[in-house]
Amino acid sequence: MWIFILRRLAVLALALLVVSFLVFLIPYVGETDPVRALARARFGRLDLDAAAIEALRIELGMHRPLLVQYLDWLGNAVIGDFGNSYMSREPVIEQVWSALKVSIVLTLAALGFAFAVAVPCGSIAALRQGSAFDSIIKSLNQAFVAVPEYWLAPMSILVFALYLGWLPSAGWRGPESVILPALALSLRPMGYFTQVMRASMIDVLNSPHIVAAHSRGLSIRRTLIAHGLRNAMLPVITLFSVWMAGLLGGAVVIEVIFAVPGMGRLVYSAIVNGDLPVLQAGLVAIVTFAVLINTLTDLAYTVLNPVVRFNNAAA
Amino acid sequence: MPQLETPVSPDIVKGMRSRMGNVHMAWSFLAHLSQHNRTLLLASSVFATVIVLLLLTPWIALHDPSSMTLSGRFSGPSAEHWLGLDHLGRDVFSRLLYGGQFSVSITAITLVIAAVVGTLLGAISARIGGAVDEFLMRIVDLVISFPDVLVALFLVAILGPGYGTLILALTLTGWTPFARMTRGLALEINAKDYIRAAEILGCSRTFIILYHVLPNVLRPLATIAFLRFGHKLITVGSLSFLGLGVQPPDTDWAAMLAEALPYLDRAPFLVLIPGLAIFITALSVTLIGQGLEAHMDEKMKWRHDNK
Repeated sequence: MWIFILRRLAVLALALLVVSFLVFLIPYVGETDPVRALARARFGRLDLDAAAIEALRIELGMHRPLLVQYLDWLGNAVIGDFGNSYMSREPVIEQVWSALKVSIVLTLAALGFAFAVAVPCGSIAALRQGSAFDSIIKSLNQAFVAVPEYWLAPMSILVFALYLGWLPSAGWRGPESVILPALALSLRPMGYFTQVMRASMIDVLNSPHIVAAHSRGLSIRRTLIAHGLRNAMLPVITLFSVWMAGLLGGAVVIEVIFAVPGMGRLVYSAIVNGDLPVLQAGLVAIVTFAVLINTLTDLAYTVLNPVVRFNNAAA
Repeated sequence: MPQLETPVSPDIVKGMRSRMGNVHMAWSFLAHLSQHNRTLLLASSVFATVIVLLLLTPWIALHDPSSMTLSGRFSGPSAEHWLGLDHLGRDVFSRLLYGGQFSVSITAITLVIAAVVGTLLGAISARIGGAVDEFLMRIVDLVISFPDVLVALFLVAILGPGYGTLILALTLTGWTPFARMTRGLALEINAKDYIRAAEILGCSRTFIILYHVLPNVLRPLATIAFLRFGHKLITVGSLSFLGLGVQPPDTDWAAMLAEALPYLDRAPFLVLIPGLAIFITALSVTLIGQGLEAHMDEKMKWRHDNK
């Protein structure tokens, strides 16, 4: 098992190294010339002569070999120094940190809600296969999975903010401003979670230990709560972590529509404004979190589930 | 194995299998399945209608999608303009059709490229095995951990927005399910006797992949393609919505929606319509995919029971 864990950690480190190199390369291959962008930010004008640009290039150390620059950049990145934003001229890391906190709140609220709905609905649908409840849940899931969030969000703003006036239509002030974006974000994962919960619960219901517990006289409800639910929830928990990793930086559309100052919007506005340090730091943060969450899930699975542990030890 | 809501009797499956040798056209296969599955029938007809409408666009769309009638801004449906006019006085129905062509074609092109690349890599990975297999599967793990929208944003930062960037970005993130599926199936097939026979006869790896492995994975792959289509359509839309996909004067459904967003309180209809188009298309294709998947599960179960 230790070999498996070490191998996963090695893959993690390698992945981060590759991604950091790609992110480092953005200023060198991209459309925005970092020297000119910085000159514009610093002097407020674009029409600098070639000599001044060249002086700035040397001052920034961009005349050195690429590998030296990369190691330099990586060294700074590791201690959290990604330079200053071209736009606000403040340290990038602070912006990324505050955006990350917002994104974590939003993602946890959306996925927590999806999970809280999916587990009971999926379980009941599995217990009453073929019932009216089952088919309603199924149709709803199929619809949820196909709803584009950039359509759902304006529609929910229209109903709950403009017509009914119950909730704020945009912004990030107080708990009530979390509700609409989290709701709009939660529908698709809810659809997937419920489908997986149902399928996994059906598997568990047919497994020998449930049949055994039930035939010893335990009621269906007790059997499920004591033996079934925990096992049936495992695949949903995996899915939860996959979505968590995906939504931390992938909720761009929702964050833009609702003006939520999270990671997705940070990276999006960095691209639109050509703010390279913010873009680099944002991408590194998102990827680090995504890879970290995936690795932790795998490791937790290995440690907690004897079957997986055995297979991985054999591999 | 998940249980089926509409069980297909073994007799039907048996009859279908004997006929399937002759029936190669995807649509006739779908039509055949639909006889036993009402949802599939409905979904296929809706999707077929969407496709036919988009193909007939030049004849149905009576107005130039970018010609403006400023005096008629926000005017509702009429005999002349079936879905009314938008904020610049352009015909919404015509724009919906022309926009749909972009939305659906970009999604389809992306999926085809992703399927071809993913299938080949998966088959090669399974066939060669060892370090190559390990390397490719770790790359799959890595790619899966990136949100598609973010990869697209990253590429837009480097290459600039547009049609090509969009297709490249979605292909880069889209090939992984095909590679995983093909690899899994190919590993199963590689263990079969007829592959060993082919090897003993001296067939090359390329020949075995092309003539023995690929034909056997085609139908499951088509199923995945249908299941992924809805998701891709929505993702293509997210990028256009953010202004990073299709560029004006061209438009697609999500770009129409984004343009109408500032007028949400005045003309919610303009936001509703393009979103509904994406939703209906995505839903019908997903349902087709699920119908095919259910059929495949049932077939495998039947084979297993009759071994």
